[in-house]
Amino acid sequence: MIGPSLHAYLAISALLFALGFLGVLIRRNTLVVFMCLELMLVASTLALVTFSRFNGTMDGNVFVFFILTVAAAEVAVGLAIIVALFRKRHTIQVDELNSLKN
Amino acid sequence: MNPNYLQLFRALRPETSLILGALAALGLDLVVVKRHTLEERLRLSLWIGAIAIAAAMAHVWLGQRGSVFGGVLMLDKLAVATRLGALALALLTLGMVRGARALRHPAEYVAIILFATIGFTLMAAAQQLLVVFLALELASLSLYILAGIDKTRPESSEAALKYFLFGGMSAAFLLFGFSLIYGLTGSIELGEISRQLAVQHVSPLLVVALVMILVAFGFKAAAAPFQLWAPDVYEGAPPASAALIASASKLAGLVLFTRLLWNGLGATSGNVVTADGTPGWLPMLAIISGASMLLGNLGALAQNNVRRLLAYSAISHAGNLLLGVIAVGQGRNVWPVFFYAATYGLATVGAFGVVGAIDRANPGGCRSLSDLAGLYRRSPLLAGCLAVFVLSLAGIPPLAGFFGKFAVFAAAFRLGGVSGPAGWLALLAIAMSAVALYYYLLILKQALVAKPAEPVQPIAVPGVTVIALIAAAALLVVLGVWPSLLLDFL
Repeated sequence: MIGPSLHAYLAISALLFALGFLGVLIRRNTLVVFMCLELMLVASTLALVTFSRFNGTMDGNVFVFFILTVAAAEVAVGLAIIVALFRKRHTIQVDELNSLKN
Repeated sequence: MNPNYLQLFRALRPETSLILGALAALGLDLVVVKRHTLEERLRLSLWIGAIAIAAAMAHVWLGQRGSVFGGVLMLDKLAVATRLGALALALLTLGMVRGARALRHPAEYVAIILFATIGFTLMAAAQQLLVVFLALELASLSLYILAGIDKTRPESSEAALKYFLFGGMSAAFLLFGFSLIYGLTGSIELGEISRQLAVQHVSPLLVVALVMILVAFGFKAAAAPFQLWAPDVYEGAPPASAALIASASKLAGLVLFTRLLWNGLGATSGNVVTADGTPGWLPMLAIISGASMLLGNLGALAQNNVRRLLAYSAISHAGNLLLGVIAVGQGRNVWPVFFYAATYGLATVGAFGVVGAIDRANPGGCRSLSDLAGLYRRSPLLAGCLAVFVLSLAGIPPLAGFFGKFAVFAAAFRLGGVSGPAGWLALLAIAMSAVALYYYLLILKQALVAKPAEPVQPIAVPGVTVIALIAAAALLVVLGVWPSLLLDFL
């Protein structure tokens, strides 16, 4: 097969996933955390497309369409929650969201 | 695969009636929004929701069984039982909505509860990774909204955001695990995956996939060390939303992952009957289970907030439920863990219903344990029902919670006695049940014995909520005295 090997694609996918996860863990701005979550989903998408090509079945490609739809719905819900929170608290920094602690 | 859309449509009639119910609730609310009060609109939406759920239950009960659409959905006994259980818990939740503090968007609230319920019923039957993912996301996205629907309180939005961030991360983990499984087996059907994995060696990639799926399971079940969201969400979300998150969502999620792990990934389960160190997901699950029992029960001892206490109790119950998943074993005996999850859901819905009713009656809401003081005088009904729910959570015979625990622990011991991790875990669970008794009795002491600090008003509970509370309590007593009723029917 012409083009990069399976391992190259997988390495990129794992790298994207790790970047996203790291971002979720260390970034303090909710919007950036949110974008990092999307990055993790995209990493899985890349892996699915790669496997679909190298397995020779369409399941992975079909899966990706649904993931894109779900990701869009997730963005809608997530941004709505962030807006609702910002109206009440006037901040979206993760550190300052601590009203639910004993 | 030979697609048969008519068969698929027939199999999805419960979901169809739920969707129609949600649309009817939204549409009718648009019509009556100007002329009626909030309470009348809520009553209308709740009736539509209840009718839709009742119709869905009838369709599940009378509907077809067996494999649907080339094995995408599997309507076996477990799926039917889980669908009925999740629908019943959603119905009880609707009853609790009426008794809790009124929200500004009644129709939307009921519609989204119905959407979440569609997710649960699909989760109960999913037999293919794509359907698993979509059902899980439909339920999760609806639950995020339900947690944050009270826009007048910042705590509600904050709970929703925390739930959303943790849930989104777990979804990403699950998806990456799925993509690796797909890569290794070339299929997204659980049956085919299981056949492929049976002839493969455990590769590092497979271990990564298993870890990721278990992380997602841990988040969903609120098991340690992925439990961080649970106390905040249970505390901040409206009580009826928390009831749904803690009950029907738990039941459906547990059945989903039990199916995924045993039917799909059963070949890589490893060994917990004896401690021989075979790699697989069972040993990892055992560690998560033990950690949840310890963290949940010891954490609950330090809580003074009723809802946080219920959350820590949920974490400890998650530990027991995971032990139940382990105890499913090669014999595929899913009924102990199903019984446990169903009765736990009943008790939790009821407990949050009581908390919601107190929350509405108290100006300051229902926060600390002392807010429960004098409940027996304010509303003997609430106090009596709360006693049943809490004692069932604690596992006191003859309530159903006792038989759930008994069945799960017995199944765990049957795997291989106390010679291996499964048996040790069951011993830990029994010891921890004794610890749990302490904080459950603390709740009851406040509700039944303690005198309120200042004179308090009686609590008026709406009729629908009274019926829902009594139904939940009666089911717990009946299933406790005759557990065979449920088990025979299955």
